[in-house]
Amino acid sequence: MEIILPERLKGAGVLPFLSQLRDPQPGEEVILDFGRLRRITPVGLVTIAATVMRWRCENRRVHFRNLERCAVTSYLQRMDLLRVSGYKWEEAFERRDSKGRFVPVRLLDHHVDGMSQDVAACLAPGGEDYDHPMSGLYDLASYVLTETANNVRQHSGGIGYVAAQATRAEGMVRLALADNGMGILQTFRDAGFPWAKDVDDPEAIRKALEPRVSCKAGEPNEGVGLTLVSGLARLTQAWLMIVSGTGVLRIKPESDPVLSELPDGGHYQGTLVAMTFPEREAHDFARLLHNAKVESGLLRKHRAPIRFEP
Amino acid sequence: MKLELRLVEDFGATLVDGYDAARYRHGRIEPFVDMAESIVLDFTSVRTANSSFINALIAGLVEQHGERLLQKMTFKGCNPVIQVLVEAAIDLGLQKSDERVRA
Repeated sequence: MEIILPERLKGAGVLPFLSQLRDPQPGEEVILDFGRLRRITPVGLVTIAATVMRWRCENRRVHFRNLERCAVTSYLQRMDLLRVSGYKWEEAFERRDSKGRFVPVRLLDHHVDGMSQDVAACLAPGGEDYDHPMSGLYDLASYVLTETANNVRQHSGGIGYVAAQATRAEGMVRLALADNGMGILQTFRDAGFPWAKDVDDPEAIRKALEPRVSCKAGEPNEGVGLTLVSGLARLTQAWLMIVSGTGVLRIKPESDPVLSELPDGGHYQGTLVAMTFPEREAHDFARLLHNAKVESGLLRKHRAPIRFEP
Repeated sequence: MKLELRLVEDFGATLVDGYDAARYRHGRIEPFVDMAESIVLDFTSVRTANSSFINALIAGLVEQHGERLLQKMTFKGCNPVIQVLVEAAIDLGLQKSDERVRA
């Protein structure tokens, strides 16, 4: 199976590409042709990393072709896509500190706390200090990363990757996580939710955004992680995309969420979450989180007396 | 008896895993709720947390013991983000407690 990467793998432009990643025949080799690629963002990087890892776990041979003709090979190297994909390619540049600019593709292991600290500190240098001007961005990145990474680690049964990029001139931050696990719908079915047998992938994604739908008696998971991530996306005027199985959910600034299916009957094995938000909207994360909780019914106006001490 | 737990000592400055929080609640808080006159959850030096952790730590406690538990609980050293998470976890626990009563 040969897949020619398009010129641009960014935003919703990855959707036709995801449809191309349908399962090869048993034992079939896969060739990824990078010759035309000119622009790729974290969403494209983590998708390739997770899918290549799935193919390798299936003992499939995967070849990267035309890297020497690719306009962004050095970027792919800086973002560690080739390294995490097990592909060796000599680097003709000197690596510099990526702090404040980008987070290379990174495996989501069980150290979610350490990963989130590292990524948030890279995107928002200085934000580790709560009084620093970057602390809102640090908190937002950390929150989104930990909630989505917990889902990958605890529920997907697969391997996940994260990557991020901050473009200071644009003032935008891009975060993306992808795994090659069972997907949202199968997670619900395995958890035994009776309604899950009657829904499809797009509907399963919509259910995952409803508060407490995935909450199960006896489990610590309250089912509010993706609810709040999507609420924060709306409040920060962000662009959010979630892909799982055949389903796609997109939230654009000032618009209602749109559910659809992958084009050409495509099916992505796993779950992909990508978010792009304006840095300036993240400065007061406590207010954002409070409003997201209120809007989703997770914090009522009439509250019990709570004793806080400094 | 006063039960005072410094979370930074047990988890570090980042609190993210609901399963860890649930284990901690069952092992370090639940057994002492009835005998403790006061319970202090000290978040001093905790930099970040998420809903998964704080809900698993607090919502279940409030669901189990109801609003009266809040009379003996104090939340210390919370930054504004953690304060929002604690408020929402308590509200979630109370909502679940109400649902149990109605069921």
